[in-house]
Amino acid sequence: MKMTFGFVFAALLAAVPASAHHAFAVEFDAKNCSDITGVLTKVDYQNPHAYIYVDAKENGQTVAKTFQLSSTSNLKRGGATLPVMNASVGKEVLVRGCASRNGEDNRYAASFIKLADGTVQRLGQDVEGVFGTKVWR
Amino acid sequence: MKTYIGVALAAALLLPAAAHAQAGKPFVEARGSVKSVPLPPGGPTPRMSDGHPDLSGVWFAGPTGKANNWSVDPESPVKEDPIPWQPWAEAKRKAMTRVDLELTSVAVNCGPVGTPGMFSENAYAHLISTKPGQFIHLIERNNRWHVVHTDGRPHKPVEELEPLFYGDQTARWEGDTLVIDSISIDERSQIEDGWFHSDQLHVIERLRRPSKNYLEYQFTIEDPKVLVKPWTSAWRTFTLSANDEDLFESFCTNNENPGQLEKLNEIEKTRK
Repeated sequence: MKMTFGFVFAALLAAVPASAHHAFAVEFDAKNCSDITGVLTKVDYQNPHAYIYVDAKENGQTVAKTFQLSSTSNLKRGGATLPVMNASVGKEVLVRGCASRNGEDNRYAASFIKLADGTVQRLGQDVEGVFGTKVWR
Repeated sequence: MKTYIGVALAAALLLPAAAHAQAGKPFVEARGSVKSVPLPPGGPTPRMSDGHPDLSGVWFAGPTGKANNWSVDPESPVKEDPIPWQPWAEAKRKAMTRVDLELTSVAVNCGPVGTPGMFSENAYAHLISTKPGQFIHLIERNNRWHVVHTDGRPHKPVEELEPLFYGDQTARWEGDTLVIDSISIDERSQIEDGWFHSDQLHVIERLRRPSKNYLEYQFTIEDPKVLVKPWTSAWRTFTLSANDEDLFESFCTNNENPGQLEKLNEIEKTRK
């Protein structure tokens, strides 16, 4: 029963087209992802992709990092509303990000954030499979 | 499944790999991930005053009644018949690089989706409104919409046909299934990523609502200049918004990287 259900469900889900995934592989490197800790300085929700900015410490220096998030509609439906995100501004967060492969330093695509209150919040695609999803191309 | 989610709920970050995580990767429980809980049927098919099914509602692809872009379930290919390409078309399709595919993808170039792209090239929410004689379809993507008469009227006369992204559309009810028939579709649209078509494209879409919470969609492609025979998709499942959601504003503006399209084009120019 369980297997049958799993199979049927997977088949249904596969109806979701891949078109939501933009050119991730062209822009970001899913094999070059890391946990980045720092102070969340700004949350910028714009259409269709949102951004957050984090000041991280690297070798005693403060380095400004930019993270591209998913679409604002995915974020809002997933609980990452603007007030939720803004509540961590000025506080330490941890962001899982995959580095840009376009030669732009300190630019990443984020998959999740550990907010200041400890909540782990989804922010983007599961390119690494860390949420148990398919690993995108 | 409950077990590993519970374990992962430790609110820590990277926990030891669960059996369901892929390629030895760790599993992370995060708010926003959508779990595989399908909606119940929800009751009988709602009907309009003329007795036909009322397809109205906000719909998401998949069975959960939620946006499934963040589903935590492994995606496996839906069972579809192979596309019956003509040899020249198959060769053209096989020669397309990943960059070609990215450049032609409406998700990257923000172009019009067309028919059947409103369903087949759209991962965003749908708002459908039906009343006797009319089908209204909006998607949460670039304010896209089309309206179709459902009274079975004929297509426009040939001399009036012009290429349109949605095509010249008419619809009729066959029992409880709404059948939308589209011709004269602009050749710049595509059926799905990398699936080009000719000016002879004829799309037959079928929509049915077997219960309150479920909508099913299937489409047939006839394209005698590109395919050797018609092709019909599997039935695809959509579910009614579990939280009675509205559509959000969602414009494709390429803001994720202003130079992305230029870079793709540059790669392509260098290659050729």
